[in-house]
Amino acid sequence: MASSQHVLLSPAELAYLHASLSLTPPIRPDGRSPTQFRPLVAETGILPGTNGSARICFADGTEAIVGVKAEVERTRTRHDFPSLDLDEGAEDDDDLDDNQRDVVKGDNDWVEMTVEIPGYRDDDAGTVFLSAMLSEALLADGEFTKRLWINRRFHWKLYLDILLISPPLSYPLPLLSLTTHLALLATRLPRLKSEGDEDPLFDDDWAAAPYLYPRPTGKKGSKKAASAPTARPPVTLLVMAVGNNIIFDPSKEELAVADVALAVSVGESSSSSSTTSTSSSKPTAMDLDTEETKGHNLRLLSVRTIDPPSRLTPPGIPNASNSAYGANAGAKDTEKKKQQQEQARTAESEAVEGVWKAPRGGAKPLVMAALVQKVLEKGGVADEVLDALDGVDLN
Amino acid sequence: MADRRRINGPVGTTIPPIYDDASEKKSEVARATRSRPANVIRKMYLKTGVTPSASGSAYLEIESSGNGGSGLKLSCSVHGPRALPRSTPFSPHIILSTHVKFAPFATKQRRGYIRDPIERDLGTHLEAALRGSIIADRWPKSGVDIIISIVEGEQDRETSKAQGIEAWDTMNALSGCITVASAALADAGIDCVDTVAGGVAALVQDAGDDAAPSIVVDPIPSEHDKVLAACCIAYLPTRQEVTNLWFKGDLPASDMDVYTQLVEKGIQASKSANRVLVDCLNETVG
Repeated sequence: MASSQHVLLSPAELAYLHASLSLTPPIRPDGRSPTQFRPLVAETGILPGTNGSARICFADGTEAIVGVKAEVERTRTRHDFPSLDLDEGAEDDDDLDDNQRDVVKGDNDWVEMTVEIPGYRDDDAGTVFLSAMLSEALLADGEFTKRLWINRRFHWKLYLDILLISPPLSYPLPLLSLTTHLALLATRLPRLKSEGDEDPLFDDDWAAAPYLYPRPTGKKGSKKAASAPTARPPVTLLVMAVGNNIIFDPSKEELAVADVALAVSVGESSSSSSTTSTSSSKPTAMDLDTEETKGHNLRLLSVRTIDPPSRLTPPGIPNASNSAYGANAGAKDTEKKKQQQEQARTAESEAVEGVWKAPRGGAKPLVMAALVQKVLEKGGVADEVLDALDGVDLN
Repeated sequence: MADRRRINGPVGTTIPPIYDDASEKKSEVARATRSRPANVIRKMYLKTGVTPSASGSAYLEIESSGNGGSGLKLSCSVHGPRALPRSTPFSPHIILSTHVKFAPFATKQRRGYIRDPIERDLGTHLEAALRGSIIADRWPKSGVDIIISIVEGEQDRETSKAQGIEAWDTMNALSGCITVASAALADAGIDCVDTVAGGVAALVQDAGDDAAPSIVVDPIPSEHDKVLAACCIAYLPTRQEVTNLWFKGDLPASDMDVYTQLVEKGIQASKSANRVLVDCLNETVG
C-alpha cells in the first residue's frame, strides 16, 4: 500500500489546503494543532489465543489489530556461535553458568512480521515498505532479539501479525506502529521452569508468565526493572513539512500537499545513562515519579523518507496559459506564439500564487534535520506519545 | 507416515563443518582494515549505453575491498517512456516502476528468482529517490520501467561473521542503484531536474582503539568492528536537495550533532559519486 494512493482533490482544493497549512500557525482541515494526534481508542489483550495483542481505532475510522504469537524453536547450530558445541553441553554445565550471560545472543530471524492491508497484495511494494520499516525499528538496537533467548539450544520465535481491518483511509504507518507497540508491551511469555541447556519446560500458570518488556511497577518485573529501567518497543511517527510548518500525524488530504514526509522511529533505551540507573536502583513509586518528570531516554532508530503523494497530484493551470481565459486568443503571428510559449515555459517552472503545482526535486537537508529534531526534542512529540501510551491499561 | 523404505537425509538444512586451521589462531586471522581516508569513496566505473535494446542503460562497478571479496556490479536498463495500456486510469505524470533484483548468485546466500522483501524495499527507496529528480509532468499518460539487476553483491568471502553485516550491505547496494539508475535515465533522455546520486556514510567503531566512534563515507562493514549507524542519501547537487534519506542505527536523542554530521557526510559521498556520473555522461556526449 503506497503512500501515493489516489487523492480525489482538485488542483484548486490542493492549492487552498497547501496555503492554509503554510500559515503561521497552520490551519488544519480538522482543526488540530500541528503536533496533535487524531484521537484514538486503544485496548490490549483482546485476543485470548495470542501471547499479546492490541487494537487501536483512530477517530477517522481506521482500525488495526496486532497479534503476537511465540513458538519455541531450536536454535540452529552455527560455527560462528562461540562455545556452541551441543554434545559437550551436558558435561560442561559448570562452565556454562559462568559465561552464560555473555552467551545471550539474538538473531534477526527470530522475529517474523507480516502486515496485511485490505485491498492490497501482501507483496505490494508499499506493504513491504511498511513492514520493513516497522521491523527495522524493532531490530535496530539488537536488544529486542536477546529477550527471545531461552538457552543455548532454544529460543522463542516471535510472529507479529499486523492487520489493518478498515480500508486504508490514511497512510496507516502511525496507526500500525502504535498498535504494534502496545501489543508488544502486553506480550507475555510462559515462565521458564527448566534450567541451563535442558529442553525448555514452562510453567503452565499463565498468571505467572513474565512480560516480554518487564514492568517497573509490577511485582514480578521489579527485580529486572532495578537493573534495566523501562525499556520499550519503538514507535514510528509520521511527520511532514509544508512551507515553514512541521505537522505531525497528517491525514490523507494533508499528506497530499506535503513538501516532504518522513517516518521517524524512536525507541527508549534500557541501558540508560548512569544517572538514571542509579536513581532507579530502588524502584519505589517516588523514584519512578521523578524519573518520569525527567523525560524519556529517547533513541533515534531509523529515519525514512516517504514518497509524498503530492508529487502525483494533477497540476493547476494559471490563467496566463489557459486558453479559456484568452491566453491564445491573439496568437496569429508566430512571434506572439513564441512569446507565449516562453511564458508557458516559465509558468511550468515557476510557481504562480494560488495555482497548485506538484512539488519537484527533493527537500533541503536543513528541513529534514528540523523534522527529526522536532520529533526528538525534550518534551517533544515523541515524549508526549510515549507518555500517552503509558496511560493504556495493559491487563 | 514416514518414509521407511529409503535412507533419507536429515530433515531441514545442515551446515558443513568448518575446521579451524591449527597453524593460525582464530584471532590472528587478518581482517582487512580501511586503507582509504575517512572521507573518500571507493573507485567506481560507470558506463552508459550498454544494452542496445533498451532506451537507456548503464553499468556500474565499485572496486572490491581487496580482501578476496567482491565489489558491487550493477546493471540498469530503462524502458520507456512509453504509452500506458488502455486499461490504466489517466495519469497526469509519468508512472515510474522500479525493479531491483539480486542475481541468484550475487550474494553468499542464494537469492531466489522471485523478489524477496529486501529487494522490494530497495525498489521503493529507489522510486522515492528518482521521483524527486524526474520532471514527471512532461509525460502524461506514460510509464517508464527501471530495471536494475545486481550482478554481484558486496560480500567478503573470508569473514564468516554472518549477522548484521548484510543489513548494512543493503545500504551500499541502494546507493549504487540510485547512481546507476540516474545514469541510465540520462542515457534514455528523460528530463530530470538534476542528476541524482547515492552516497552512504556510517558511524563505525573500530576494533583496536577504544576511542570514540568515527564517521566514514562509503563503509565496507567487514572492515570495521561494529557499525553503529548508517545513512544512505540521494542528493541533487545543483539544487542542494535530498530526494531520499534512509537512516538506520541506534543513536541517543541527545546526539543530534552526530546525526547531522552523518547526513552531511552522506551528502559528501553522494557528491563524489555525482562527479563520476557527470564525467561519464560528458564522455558519452562529447
